[in-house]
Amino acid sequence: MSIRQISTFLQSKPGHLARILELLQDAGVSVRGYSVSDTGDYGIGRFVVDDVDAAIAAFEEEGIAHAETDVLCLLLEDEPGELGRVMAVLADCGINVSYSYSMISTYIVINTDDAGAATAALASTDLVLVSQEDIMRASQLRSTKGGE
Amino acid sequence: MSFDITRKGDALKAAAQGAFDELPIFDPDIERASRAYIEALQAEKLKRQVRYTYERVPYYREKMDALGVSPDDIQTIGDVRKLPFTDKSALRETFPYGLFAVGLDRIRELHASSGTTGKPIVVGYTDDDMDVWSDCIARLVQMAGVVPEGNAQMAFGYGMFTGGFGLHYGLQKLGCTMIPAGAGNTERHIQMIQDYGTTVLIATPSYAMHICEVGEEMGYDWAASPLRVGLFGGEPCPPGMKAEIESRMHIVCTDNYGLTEVMGPGVSGECLAARDQQHIAEDHFLWEVVDPETGEAVAEGEMGELVLTPLDKQGIPVLRYRTHDLTRVTTEPCACGRTHARMDKVRSRSDDMLIIRGTNVFPSQIEDVLSGIDEVTPHYRIIVETVGGMDALTVQTEIRPESFTDSFEALDAMRRRIEEKLKGVLLVGVKVSLVEPGGIERTMGKAKHVEDRR
Repeated sequence: MSIRQISTFLQSKPGHLARILELLQDAGVSVRGYSVSDTGDYGIGRFVVDDVDAAIAAFEEEGIAHAETDVLCLLLEDEPGELGRVMAVLADCGINVSYSYSMISTYIVINTDDAGAATAALASTDLVLVSQEDIMRASQLRSTKGGE
Repeated sequence: MSFDITRKGDALKAAAQGAFDELPIFDPDIERASRAYIEALQAEKLKRQVRYTYERVPYYREKMDALGVSPDDIQTIGDVRKLPFTDKSALRETFPYGLFAVGLDRIRELHASSGTTGKPIVVGYTDDDMDVWSDCIARLVQMAGVVPEGNAQMAFGYGMFTGGFGLHYGLQKLGCTMIPAGAGNTERHIQMIQDYGTTVLIATPSYAMHICEVGEEMGYDWAASPLRVGLFGGEPCPPGMKAEIESRMHIVCTDNYGLTEVMGPGVSGECLAARDQQHIAEDHFLWEVVDPETGEAVAEGEMGELVLTPLDKQGIPVLRYRTHDLTRVTTEPCACGRTHARMDKVRSRSDDMLIIRGTNVFPSQIEDVLSGIDEVTPHYRIIVETVGGMDALTVQTEIRPESFTDSFEALDAMRRRIEEKLKGVLLVGVKVSLVEPGGIERTMGKAKHVEDRR
């Protein structure tokens, strides 16, 4: 089980990220989680959104360099050791995490070098894998947040 | 197969099939004259022009006297080498009218070059000069397949710049309807193309690219547009950019060469048989190619600095004008049927050479490398600065939307691959900086590709 993440090319200059977010806003797309990393010169913005197709359509219309990647999304218990447990499951299977970031509350996104094996390994534990449908359902995420 | 070159796309199709007889030629008698005829004509005109210049322009009389050369010494075209060179500084020193050979009563029009430093260069045209000029333009626009029925929309600014009026008069001489829209207001340009049935657009290549992109954003269908021909000037057109504009706007584009000091646009023009070259109007201009260091002639076909002597100019004659443009010239016959010599399109100037850590680097080399890389657009910018006492060269290039991936590793590999290719050609280390699509400014005037911060 995976979810769809959209990445965009980010030039290291003021206003670029803001412009991309404005495009998403204009398209009525809600950002559920994101990460921005850079090399000093340019960077990659990674977004988990409720309406992936609307976001892609907006990027295509504006000629924004973007790409879609399937990533894993997990919902963790908010307790010590949970994040470490996830990484240990993957490490035990020899799976490399290429990047990972947290979303709202204790949702985290993980991209690995072997999505299938990672899904299988994580699914065999009591960790909660999150689906694309879960991402789309804003209320569920909000209620999680509200329950903190 | 027969072609209707007034139909969109047919000029390129005819050229691709070698059917050059289907394409128009403005003055076949002179444009297809034998080499012997052209050279005899040049010798006659050179003799007359040198005498005219010597008798009327004290500046040249003094220069020639100092060299011990009299008009009688000029009998053949080879004798041109006895004459003094003219540099831009001569026009600055004698500003405004010092080199004029006639009184202002005979000057019909003044033009000036932008003059980025100091005084501008001002030139004047007599009625006969205007006639030669518009003749040269009519020839080169027909090389691109423009016909008298064309509606030609001007996207150059008019003003003192020679490009606007030069093309305007030449297109009118051919019989075209001029639409003098002028520079700026891109959406209005697109609207006018559609409303007035514009078939010919005159623009800088980078502005044409901008018009293309804005049209696409507006949802304008270039394939269905009446526009058929793009006439470029004002800045060199990278081959990759021209091909891209042709395919996206569904038009045929050519560019021409010229400079204010010897006339303006129209010194040479591109035919559809030799797209990287331009036919010099040899009945009006005597060309030489010299070593920029020594001023000595290089062998035919060798790269060097182009030197031009206008053979008919009355208003402001110049002898052996040093263009600082690097090119090579061939007199081999051209498939289009024209016999006038072809110069390689000017890609670099002897004075825009950058010296990076002791190595000569031309922006055109960078352009060539980038145009061969699919992942980036033809737009670029060169930044030279001093970092830790050393010259540092950075090339900014636009990533194409489709070549982006969600991996720093892949992006960095792409960046390094471009760096390696550039280093292989330039022989100096380069840092490549990827910028977003559309991130490099499109200009309406001369595209500024180099920023030297040293």
